[in-house]
Amino acid sequence: MPSASGYFRTHYGEDTRLLDTRTKRVCYALLVVILVALPFVASAFLLDLANQVYLAIIGAVALMLLTGYAGQISLGHAGLMAAGAFTAGILFKEVNAPFWITLPASGLVGATIGVIFGLPSLRLRGLYLAVSTLALHFIVIYAGGEYETKRGFSTGVIIAPPRIGSWTLEDPIAWYFVLGLFAAAALLFGLNLLRSRTGRAWRAIRGRETVAEALGIPVARYKLAAFVVSSMMTSVAGCLFAYYRGFVSAEAFSLFLTIQYVAMVIIGGIGSMLGAVLGAVFVVLFPYAIEALTQVLPTPAAWANAVFAINYAAFGLVMILFLLFEPQGLVGIWRRIQNYFLLWPFKQAPLSKGR
Amino acid sequence: MADALLVVEQLEVVYQRVITAVQGVSLRVEKGQIVALLGTNGAGKTTTLRAISGFIGMDDARVTEGTVTYKGERIENLPPHGVTSLGIVLVPERQKVFENLTVAENLDANVARVVKGFDRKRLAASVYEYFPALARLRSREAGYLSGGERQMLGIGAALMCAPEMLLVDELSLGLSPIMVSELMQRLLAIRRELGTTILLVEQNAQVALDIADYGYVIENGRIVLDGTPERLSSHQDIKEFYLGGGSTRRSYRDVKQYRRSRRWYG
Amino acid sequence: MQLTINIVVLAAIYALICCGYVLIYRVSRVMSLAHGELMMLGAYGLFATAGTFSGHPLIAIAVAAVLATMVGVLVYVALMRSMTGEAVLAAVLATIALGIFLRGAMVLVWSAQEQHPIRLLGWTNSAVSIGETARISAAALVLVVVTALAYLSLYFFLKYTVWGIRMRAAGQNPLLAAQRGIGLHGIYALAWALATFTGGIAGMLIASDTALDQTMIIIGLKAFPAALVGGLDSLLGALIGSLIVAAAEVLMIHYIDPLLADVVPFFVLLVFLIVRPWGLYGSKEELDRV
Repeated sequence: MPSASGYFRTHYGEDTRLLDTRTKRVCYALLVVILVALPFVASAFLLDLANQVYLAIIGAVALMLLTGYAGQISLGHAGLMAAGAFTAGILFKEVNAPFWITLPASGLVGATIGVIFGLPSLRLRGLYLAVSTLALHFIVIYAGGEYETKRGFSTGVIIAPPRIGSWTLEDPIAWYFVLGLFAAAALLFGLNLLRSRTGRAWRAIRGRETVAEALGIPVARYKLAAFVVSSMMTSVAGCLFAYYRGFVSAEAFSLFLTIQYVAMVIIGGIGSMLGAVLGAVFVVLFPYAIEALTQVLPTPAAWANAVFAINYAAFGLVMILFLLFEPQGLVGIWRRIQNYFLLWPFKQAPLSKGR
Repeated sequence: MADALLVVEQLEVVYQRVITAVQGVSLRVEKGQIVALLGTNGAGKTTTLRAISGFIGMDDARVTEGTVTYKGERIENLPPHGVTSLGIVLVPERQKVFENLTVAENLDANVARVVKGFDRKRLAASVYEYFPALARLRSREAGYLSGGERQMLGIGAALMCAPEMLLVDELSLGLSPIMVSELMQRLLAIRRELGTTILLVEQNAQVALDIADYGYVIENGRIVLDGTPERLSSHQDIKEFYLGGGSTRRSYRDVKQYRRSRRWYG
Repeated sequence: MQLTINIVVLAAIYALICCGYVLIYRVSRVMSLAHGELMMLGAYGLFATAGTFSGHPLIAIAVAAVLATMVGVLVYVALMRSMTGEAVLAAVLATIALGIFLRGAMVLVWSAQEQHPIRLLGWTNSAVSIGETARISAAALVLVVVTALAYLSLYFFLKYTVWGIRMRAAGQNPLLAAQRGIGLHGIYALAWALATFTGGIAGMLIASDTALDQTMIIIGLKAFPAALVGGLDSLLGALIGSLIVAAAEVLMIHYIDPLLADVVPFFVLLVFLIVRPWGLYGSKEELDRV
C-alpha cells in the first residue's frame, strides 16, 4: 500500500506491524469507539443486522484465509457451518451440554472435518477439490437431516440460549458484544497468521504450488493447516449462529449460503482481510437493500411473492459485475479512492505508455 | 524496397510492462527469400518471432514501439489466428504438435488461409510427399513421435495452413546433424516448389547460413550485424562465436577477454 | 428388472448432462456450475415455445432446441469470453454467479410453480411395459434413445469432422491451435453451444418425464460426480461414470434409504477421489495443469 511521502520504514519490524502510522491508530480507535457506542443508540433491527454482520465476518475471514490466501477453492462452507451448528444442537439435546463445551466441541468437529476433506486436497487441485468440498456439503446436510428425522425434530432442533454460570446470553446488546469480540478475535487471528511464516507459505502456495515446494515449503502440511484453520473457524461460526438463532435446521444451510460466502470473498476482494469485512457487510446488507429498493421502485405485481428470486437474480448480477469489472473487489475501489486522496494535487498519468 | 514481404522496423517488446526483451530490431524479408535470424540464447530471436506471429499478447507482453508490416499491412497487434489467416505461419520451438491427436488429425485441424482452388486433400498429399516418414505414421498419436518426426509434423501442419511465409523457430534444436541437414533440404524444396518465403531463427549458424539468402545477427535485443551468408560467415566474430573454430585456437581466457571487447562494425 | 431399467434411465439422464460438463471442461478447463440452471432454462424454453406454437409440438421442440443453443453462445460471448486468460477459479466463480442469477431470473419470469410442458404440447407421458413386470415411461424411453444418439454423434463429430478435431486440438494446446489459424473464441462458443444444447434437451426430457421445478438444479449438480468419476475430459468415461453413479444411487435408494438420493453420487465421488483422483479415463497429468 502506498504511503504519502515523508513516511519511510526504517526496520523490518515495521513492515509487519498492523497499525503502522499514527493516523491509522487514531482511525481504528475511533472505529472501536463508534462500534462500542452503536448498540446503545441503534434500533433492534439495526442491532440484529450488526450481529449478522459479525457472524458473517467470522465465516468470511475463514474462507478468505483458505481461498483468498492459500488459493484453495471450497464449496463446502455451508456444510461446515452446519457441522458446527449441528454439533452444538446435538450435544445440547442429547447430553444437555453447556455453551463452554459445545463451542470448543464444534471447533474440534470442524477441525476434524477439515483434516478429512483437506486430505484429498493433497492430491487434488482446483476443480477436483471444489467438487470434493461440494460433496462434503451434501454429506453433512444429509447427516444433519437424518438426525432431525430420526429423533423426530422434523422442523429443526431448538437450542436454549447459552448460560455461563448464572448469566444467560439473551439480550441482543450482550450478543452484540459477544459476537463483536468473536469477530474481532477472528480478524486478529487471521491477520496474525498472515504475517507469520504460515501466511507467507500460503501465499507462496497460491502463487505456484510447484515453486513453493521447490523453495522448501512443506506444501502438504500448510495446505492441510489452511483447511483445518478455516474449517475450525467456520464451524465455530456455525455454532454461534445456532445459539444466536436458538434453532438448528438443515434447511438453513443451503448451497446458497456457500455462494453467499464465496461472494463475500469475491465482492470484498480476494486476498485481503479488509475485503472479507467489506464483503461480509455488503452481502449481509444486500437483501435488505434490495427489499427496500423493490418497495420504492415500481415492480410487477407478480414479483411481490418472489422477493427471494429478486434477491438471487440481483445477487448473481452483482457478482458477475464484480468479476467482470472489478476483480479486486470493494477493496480495489477503496484503495483507488485512498490513492486518489493520498496523491491528490500531484496526481498525474502514469509515465509508462504500457498502461 | 517496395516488394519486401515483411518489414520489421525498430521493434521494441516489453514483457509485463518492465522487462524489455527486444529493442530496435529491424529486418526485411523479400518474397521468396530464406532469411536467417541468428543469435544466442536470450538474444531476442524468439520474442521477435512471437511479435510477428501475434503471440505477444498472450504472455502479457506487448509491442511498445516500432511496426511489423506484412504486404503493406500493419500486423503487430493482430491475434495469432489473424496473422495465420494472412499467410504467416509459425513453427514453434517446442510444443509444435497436438500430442493426443494422430498425425493425420494434426494435419486436418489447421485452418487454411483463404486461397482460390484450395484442396485440403491435395495439400495433405504433398505434405506426405515432402515428409514420407509421416505417411507411414499417419494414424499414430503425435505424442509418440520422435523429435525429428515431430519437427516434420510441425512443418507439415504449418504447410496445411497454406502459408506464404513460414517462421521456423530453432529447427535444429535437439536433432542430429543428419536430420537437420535433411530438414534444411526439405525447406529448400518447399521454397522452390511452393514459393514459400521462410524466416529461419537459429542458434546453429552454420546450417542456417548454408541455405539462407540473407542473414541477421541479433544480440541483447538488437540487430548488430546483417549481410549475405558469404559475408556473415567470413566475418571474424561470427566465425569465432557461432561457427566455432576461427583462424587460430585461443585459450578460453582469451576468448572471454575478446568477448568483452567485441566489435560489431565489420 | 425394474431396477435395471431405473438404473439405465438415471444413467442416461446423468450421461446426457455430463456431455456438457465434459465438452466445456475439455476445451477450456472450466467446470460450469451453472449447468443445472441452464438445463432448467432449456426446459422453460420448451414451456414457452409450447405455449406459443400450441398445436405444433415438433416446431415448438425445434425452436426450443435452437434457443437453448443460442443461450450457450450468449453465455460465452457475454460472460465467459472475458474470463478466458483469467484464473480457472475466476471462471468457475463466474459460472456460480451466472447460476444464481438465472435461478432468480427464472422464478421472476415463470414463477416457482411446478410446470408440465409436455401437457402444453398435447402429449401424455404414458408407460410402456417391458417384459412382464417392468415398465418405463415414454419420456424416459425417449431420453435413453436421445442420450445414445447424442453420444454417438458427439463421438463422430469429435473423431471425424474437421471442427471436432479442431475442438480437440484447441482443448489440448490453445496457443498452438490459435497459431494454426483456429479461432479460439469460435471453438469455445461452439463448446458452450453444444453443452447448453445437450443440457437443454436433457432439461426438456426430464421436465417431460416428471415435472419442471427447482429440483432440476440438484439433478444438474448430481451429474457432476458422474463426470468426475469418468475423468471429466473423456466422453466414454462420462458414460461409464454415469452408469456407476446411477447404479449406486438406485440400489442404495432401493435397499437402504430413499433419503440417500441426494448424497450417493457424492459418496461415490469421494471414494473415487481417494482411490483414483484423475477419474477412470482422465489423463493423469491434467491434474497438475490446473
